[in-house]
Amino acid sequence: MAPSRGFLRLWHTPLRPSIIPITRLSSQRFYQTFTEDLANPTKKVQSYVSSSSDPYLNLSIEDHILQKSSPDSTILFLYTNRPCVVIGRNQNPWLEVNLRLLNAATAASDVSYHIKSEPPAIGNVDLVRRRSGGGTVFHDEGNVNWSITCPRSDFTRDKHAEMVVRALRKLGVERARVNERHDIVLDLGEKKHAVDAQDTHQTPYTVEEGDPRRPLKVSGSAYKLTRGRALHHGTALVASPNLHIIGQYLKSPAKEYIEAKGVESVSSPITNMGLENSAFEKGVQDAFATMYATTGSAPVIETVGKEYLNIPEIKKGYDELLTPDWLFAQTPAFKLRFREQNAPNMGPPNIDMSVRHGIIESCSLENVSDDTNRKLMGTKLLDVKDWKVLLRELLGKDKEPSAKGVHDAAGTTLQRLLPIPDVPSRNEEHL
Amino acid sequence: MAARYAAARAVRQLASAAPRRASPFVCQRWQPAQIERRLFSVSSALKEKKYTEDHEWIETSADGKTVTLGISEYAAKALGDVVYIELPEVGLEVGAGEVIGAVESVKSASDILTPIGAKVVEINGTLEKTPGNINKDPEGDAWIAKLEPTGEPEGKIMSKKEYDAFTEDA
Repeated sequence: MAPSRGFLRLWHTPLRPSIIPITRLSSQRFYQTFTEDLANPTKKVQSYVSSSSDPYLNLSIEDHILQKSSPDSTILFLYTNRPCVVIGRNQNPWLEVNLRLLNAATAASDVSYHIKSEPPAIGNVDLVRRRSGGGTVFHDEGNVNWSITCPRSDFTRDKHAEMVVRALRKLGVERARVNERHDIVLDLGEKKHAVDAQDTHQTPYTVEEGDPRRPLKVSGSAYKLTRGRALHHGTALVASPNLHIIGQYLKSPAKEYIEAKGVESVSSPITNMGLENSAFEKGVQDAFATMYATTGSAPVIETVGKEYLNIPEIKKGYDELLTPDWLFAQTPAFKLRFREQNAPNMGPPNIDMSVRHGIIESCSLENVSDDTNRKLMGTKLLDVKDWKVLLRELLGKDKEPSAKGVHDAAGTTLQRLLPIPDVPSRNEEHL
Repeated sequence: MAARYAAARAVRQLASAAPRRASPFVCQRWQPAQIERRLFSVSSALKEKKYTEDHEWIETSADGKTVTLGISEYAAKALGDVVYIELPEVGLEVGAGEVIGAVESVKSASDILTPIGAKVVEINGTLEKTPGNINKDPEGDAWIAKLEPTGEPEGKIMSKKEYDAFTEDA
């Protein structure tokens, strides 16, 4: 007799916690041979899953796989991060991210700058710059990241998104398909005539272009190519509890004032797949094993975790991702051009500033003394803790109230548009 | 100075876990005598444009002192529309096989490697404003950097004919 649903639920709940000690044990045993295993030419198909929710660690393990795996191996890696905003390699954090929301939970002193929306109550959110290209995404515990490292000669931008679509359809998500941007979307139309079930680029629910029922994105892709190897990683919104606030994190108050080189994100309406994380993980692992069944023997799924920081190259990559230079100075050159729209003559002064490698190259704050403008040139954005304080300092002993007022107004605007958030510190308890 | 350091570091991060010989930064600090280092006269075989398995090309200048590096037409086509190019800083010293920059196209960041140990003496700054040029003339006007070699090329170096055969097989 089949067990009742109630029994199943009881059975499922304790299952995950009871697994954790076992996987931790096994990952402790294996980290010493991880690099060797990756480089082993006879292990052509490998599969890993991370027990850590640290985005910097998971990205560094992933990079280690890309750098160290043998030239013709294909490797699956699954990981789920704690809440974080992940920008693409060549993106501008001031343009892509509402930076002041990231530390909203702890930065109570910031109220003087009027955060308009209530800070979402999900605690601190990390800022991460990944090594791959593409746009900005939000990760949390309901988003499973999947990544495939394979030979560059085998690589196409769609093939592993197609693999994930096959996994999703097997799990009953029959509206899933790959779109022209290499993302995975769910179609929203009513069921029409049947389409080829093997076709991962259309479903019976696909609507014509221009139909208001726009497909909803559930997974986005990004790639890194190096030395004959290709990394394709993607997000998968499986069961994010934060769909309603993701938009707030990805909407910058400076967006309309920044003109940037590099890569701008394309925003898409999103939804959840409505699966359990574990079901999605299992589905992708199975689809991967099926896809590469003829390439090598079926992979044993190994668990990786925080002990892998003991591997020097992973530690090095981890520390690099946390450097302020990587997070901020890597930003392609940009110009800030601020004009108060509503009250051009009464509002804060106009601002023109160009920044390159995170350093102010030229600067013109309207009505602010030439001396202050000159002193700002060459300033490293990272050294600015608070723009208002900095401008007061540059003003020096000139106590004339009007000069002070103009400096303060410029400082307040800059603090709103170009805040320099606390750089995430290594926090062992997060690992 | 800080800018140069930051950018050099960014480029170094591109190569994060790559095997490397001595760090170029350590060299700069510890061996100032290197400024007068012997310039390698590049062998005549290199004067014709050569290609790597990672789809870069190198070509030696008429006077034999510098080498120009770029990405191949095959690579530019495979990458799709290029939206950003990370150029190295002038003065950066890199070893053969190391990362010297990166190209972003269609959500992909692709490393540019140098097959020859060298010091960067000039970069193609126009690519910063118009990265799309690399799709138009990757083996001509849209070169990436000019290098002063500090060694001989390493790894597989192919003639145009050999490279065409190599990309046909791929």
